[in-house]
This record gives sequence, C-alpha cells and structure tokens, in this order.
Amino acid sequence: MTNRVQDIIVATVLLLLGAIWTWLVIDTIRPGFGDGDIGARAFPMVFGILLMVFSGVLLASKLPRSDRDENLFVGDMEIPKSSRLDWLPALLVLGQICLYGFLLEKIGFVLATPIVVLLAMVVSLRERSAVKLLGMSLGLTVGSWLLFEKVLGIYLANGTWLNLG
Amino acid sequence: MDLFLDALALVLTPMAIASIGLGALVGLIFGSIPGLTFTVALALALPITFGMDPVPAIGLLLGTYIGGMTGGSVSAILLGIPGTPSAAATVLDGHQMTKQGEASIALGTAVIVSVFGGLFSLLVMIVSVDLVSRLAIGFGPAELFALVLFGMSTICGLCGDSLIKGLISGVLGLMIMTVGIDAIDGVPRMTFGSINLLQGVNLLVAMIGLFAVPFIIEAFSQKGERDIQAQRVAKVRAELPSLKMLFGKISLILRCSALGTGIGAIPGTGGAIASFLAYDHAKRFSKKPQSFGKGNMEGVIAPEAANNAVTGGTLIPLLSLGIPGDPATAIVLAGLMIHGIQPGPALFMNNAGEVYGMYVAVALAYLWVLALQLMGIRIFVHVLKIPREMLAVAVLVLCAIGAYSIRNSAFDIYAMGAIGLLAYVLVAVRVPITPIILGMVLGPTLENEFRTAMMLSGGSFDIFLNSPTVLVFFALAAGVIGLQVVAELKLRKKTKEKIEMTDA
Repeated sequence: MTNRVQDIIVATVLLLLGAIWTWLVIDTIRPGFGDGDIGARAFPMVFGILLMVFSGVLLASKLPRSDRDENLFVGDMEIPKSSRLDWLPALLVLGQICLYGFLLEKIGFVLATPIVVLLAMVVSLRERSAVKLLGMSLGLTVGSWLLFEKVLGIYLANGTWLNLG
Repeated sequence: MDLFLDALALVLTPMAIASIGLGALVGLIFGSIPGLTFTVALALALPITFGMDPVPAIGLLLGTYIGGMTGGSVSAILLGIPGTPSAAATVLDGHQMTKQGEASIALGTAVIVSVFGGLFSLLVMIVSVDLVSRLAIGFGPAELFALVLFGMSTICGLCGDSLIKGLISGVLGLMIMTVGIDAIDGVPRMTFGSINLLQGVNLLVAMIGLFAVPFIIEAFSQKGERDIQAQRVAKVRAELPSLKMLFGKISLILRCSALGTGIGAIPGTGGAIASFLAYDHAKRFSKKPQSFGKGNMEGVIAPEAANNAVTGGTLIPLLSLGIPGDPATAIVLAGLMIHGIQPGPALFMNNAGEVYGMYVAVALAYLWVLALQLMGIRIFVHVLKIPREMLAVAVLVLCAIGAYSIRNSAFDIYAMGAIGLLAYVLVAVRVPITPIILGMVLGPTLENEFRTAMMLSGGSFDIFLNSPTVLVFFALAAGVIGLQVVAELKLRKKTKEKIEMTDA
C-alpha cells in the first residue's frame, strides 16, 4: 500500500469517526440554555466538526493524482518497514494487555504476572529457552512485587477467584 | 533567601537526593537505548511517585527527564543510533569520532557541555519563570483561553511534517478529554452508560498507552533486528576534555546553550530542532566547516549543549503559564498536578517553596548525570546489549502495574491497551502523537476558560475582542498556522518544479 492510499484510508476513517461522533454528541448531550451558558454539548460538537473538516481537507489534498506524481513523490514509494502496520504483533500485544487486566482482577498480581510474561515470550517472541522463560517470568514477578508492594507501598491486585496475597 | 534555604532543606534529604539520582539513572538508561525514549521512562516513573512527598516525587521526574535528554548521546556516539530524537545531530560527528578511536573524549565532552547547557538554561529559567508569571498573573478566563489556543496551535503547527495531520491529532486529543462528566454542568458526555467512563479517560493511563505500548509492539515486531553493534564498543570510558579545549569553545557553548533555551521555551519545538539548529550554527561559524560530519568536536559540542539547554527552556512556559512544550513536560505537568502543584501564573503565590525546590532538584539532577555518566558509562554500554524485546516484556508488566495503580481498576489497563494500539496505528500512518497528548492536557482548560469567559460576558464575544492580550495571542496563533501553511505550499511548489525539471 502506498502512503497516498494509506492517507486516503486514514482521512476517510477519521471523516466517518468525526461524523459519528458529532451525531452521537447531538443525540445524547443537551445544549446550553443560552445567555452565556455554552452548555456541555458545544465543545465536543465543535471538535467533531473540526475533525470532519480537517479529515476532509486531508482527503481532498490526496485525491487528485497524476502519473507523474507517482514517479517522483516520496509519498508514493514503497512504505518503509518502520512505518508499516504489523497488525499481528499489535493485536497480540493488545490481547496480552487485556488478558493481564482480566487475570489481575481474577487471580491477582502474583499469579497473573508470570502467566502473561510466559505467554508474551512464547507467543510474541517465540522464545523456547527454559532458563530465559523461567528467569524472566519469576524475576519480573518477584522484582516488581518487591519494588511496588514492599518498597513503595503501592497496592498490587489481589484476585477475586484466587488470592495469594 | 529564606525560601531558597527552605527549598534546600526540602531537597537535601536522603530520600529526595536518592529519588533524583534514581530518576537520573533510569533516564540515562532509557535515553541511551534507541527506541526506548525517556518519555516512556517518565510515563512509567509517574505511578511510582504516588506514595512520595511532592519534592522527591518531582525530583524523580525531573531527574528522569534530564537523565534521558543527556543519555541519548551515548548510543548516538557509540552506535551511530540516536537514543532520543534530540541526539540525532550528535550522530553526525560523534559517531565519526568513535570510528576514529575518539569515543571516550567525545562522550566526556558531550556530558560536560550537556551539564553546562542544562545549568545555563536553569539560570535563565529562574529569572524568566517569575517574570512571565508576574506578567500573566492578571490574565482572566478570556486571556487564558487565548493563551491555551496559541499553545495548541504552536504545538499542532510545529510538530510533524504535515500541519493538517498535526491539527487532526490535536483535535483527537481534545475529543478524548471531553469523555466523562462535564466539569461545569455535571452532564455525562459520550459515556454510553458505562460507570467506568464517567470519570473520563485518565490522563496518566493515556500517556502510558501513547508512549509505552507502541514501543512494545515495535520491539515485538522487529525482534532480533538490532543487537549487532554493541559488542565492539564494550571497552569505552568517558574521558574528560582539557580545560584549554573547553575554554577555547566557550563562546560556541554559550551561544548554543542560549539557542537551546530559547527554542525550548517555544511550545512544540523541542530538543531535536534545537540540536540541528545549533549544529548548523556551529558549522556556519566554524573555521573548518568542511570537517563537519567527519568527526569535528564542535559537531558534538553544539547539539549537546543545545538539547540539554532545552530542558530549562521547556520548563519556563510549563511553570509560568501551565503550557507543556512537549510530551515529556506534559508528564511532568501531570506529576505536579497529582502532588497538588498547579503550574500557572499563581504558582509562586501558592507553591513558592516547591518551585525553588524544583530549581535545586534540576541542579542536583545535572550533578547526578555528570557523576553517573563519567563513572558508569561502561554499565550503560552493557545495558545497550540487552535485547530490546526483553526490555519490552518488562515494560509491558510495568505499564500494566502503572495503569492499574492509578485507580485500582482493570478498566484502566484495557483503556491503556486501546489507546496504545491507536497510537501505534497513528504513528504508522505518520500522524504525530505529540499534539494528542497536549490536546488532552490543555483541552479541559481550553473549554473551561472559554465557558467561564462566556458566562462572565453574558454570552457576548466582546470579552475576547476587547482585550489586547487576547488579540495578540489570536494573532500569534494565526501567524504560526499561516507560516506553516506557507512553508508547506513552498515545499509543494519546489517539488512541482523538480517534477518539471525531471520531465524536461
């Protein structure tokens, strides 16, 4: 996918987001009473409209296209690796974060942390060394428990299903 | 003087000194590892400060900020990869010096001029913050609205390559902050009946998500692509430059420090711009401009003095007006607010002791940085060998702990993940994320001040048109946006001319 096509997709998505946002704001938030009462609706609505306007400008600036542009603009070259979207690792990380949040509440920090660290290392990093897996999962759990719970006195989650303290 | 002595007493406690030192160390480590910026370190350090007293807590954050800004030069000089964007200009000559076997003297000089630049900007900051605060103390809601609008326009206009993408990003940040109960009317906005959303999106959760999660995703997706170069620089140390050499360059160091402080004081600019401008300045005024890029010491001195001078510069609008100039100072601002310190014109009236404490903390942080860099450079070199993906696993755990500890709610962890994914996508499609965070920080003030002004004026816009200060800020905002539009149009015209020349 070229940068130009990417920009068109981004602008379209944001334009739609702005439209849905504005519609929801008008539909769910009551306006102010006037005479200086701007109300809670005005700013979210203005922001939604601004998003639509800016996305529209971005879309309009990317739509006209000539063959010559294609050959010269950096924006139409193959996207470098650094700006390519790697969806699989991104979704895996999001899944691991959500799982961590869920497990923290259900089985507590002491059990949830090694499970998530193991999962991240095995699934995302494809790590198979038992020493590294064990060292990282136990080291991070014990290290952060000592630092946050014992040294800094920050509450770490206890589980509602299982509680190891 | 009494205030200063009180501040000294607050900062020179073992807890405060250790906090500043810990912050400097963490900042140096995070700053020196490419991809793991000190903004991530600040986002992770913030929850640690919850249980601390204000001065050690702010000291920890300032130490991290200052350490991170200095640490970027280590990998820039040794590996040719800037640890932070602000160290990018240092690569040009610093890494050439490493190739010529002069890494030790380059590192030593970099840290000395960095500390000089930082302390220079601290002095300017001490004078300026009070002065700007006094000027701004008479600002009413209309002036504050105009000031915040000016700050937003500068940030959206100056960061990133595209003005329109900067504006989109800023608006996204403003939109996120309208979610939750409205502060004036108490009306729930965009909460969809969710109790968790009533409190809105927590600023700290958003910051952790915006800066740390994209790093984790990138580290996981680029596994094993980096660890090459750390091996060959293991036997390096920081060697102090001679006083004769330093005095010979004092004029350049002073000019670049002043340049960095000035650039830092403009919201939305930051260390990268300052260091490249300083590099260019040094090259223009050098007796041997042709040697730049080939290992000229001035090519290390100029960017390092300038990028560290930015630290004091960015703190001027932050402390005196409550406007953070970059993501790092936005996190510092959040830290200040958590500990009951509200930056802005009234800062000196309400928290004079803490402000003086911050000045001492900045000076102490630079001393820590100097000591740690000169003595611990070998340790940082070993840190550079740790695979990024392993650090990312640790960052994942720390992020979750940080987000959870804010309100003891798993919802914040989910919110952090979602915002992080959004940030990753935005970065990949070249939308800058700095305006999002600044939109989130400044959004509530923007809305509250406008609505208060309108209530005071009974719905008349005259309150904005009758104040010269407001008009000046509006004109400045329009000027910044206008200049950016002109610059982009010029660039487009240049590209068109290139096309025509190619065709011809």
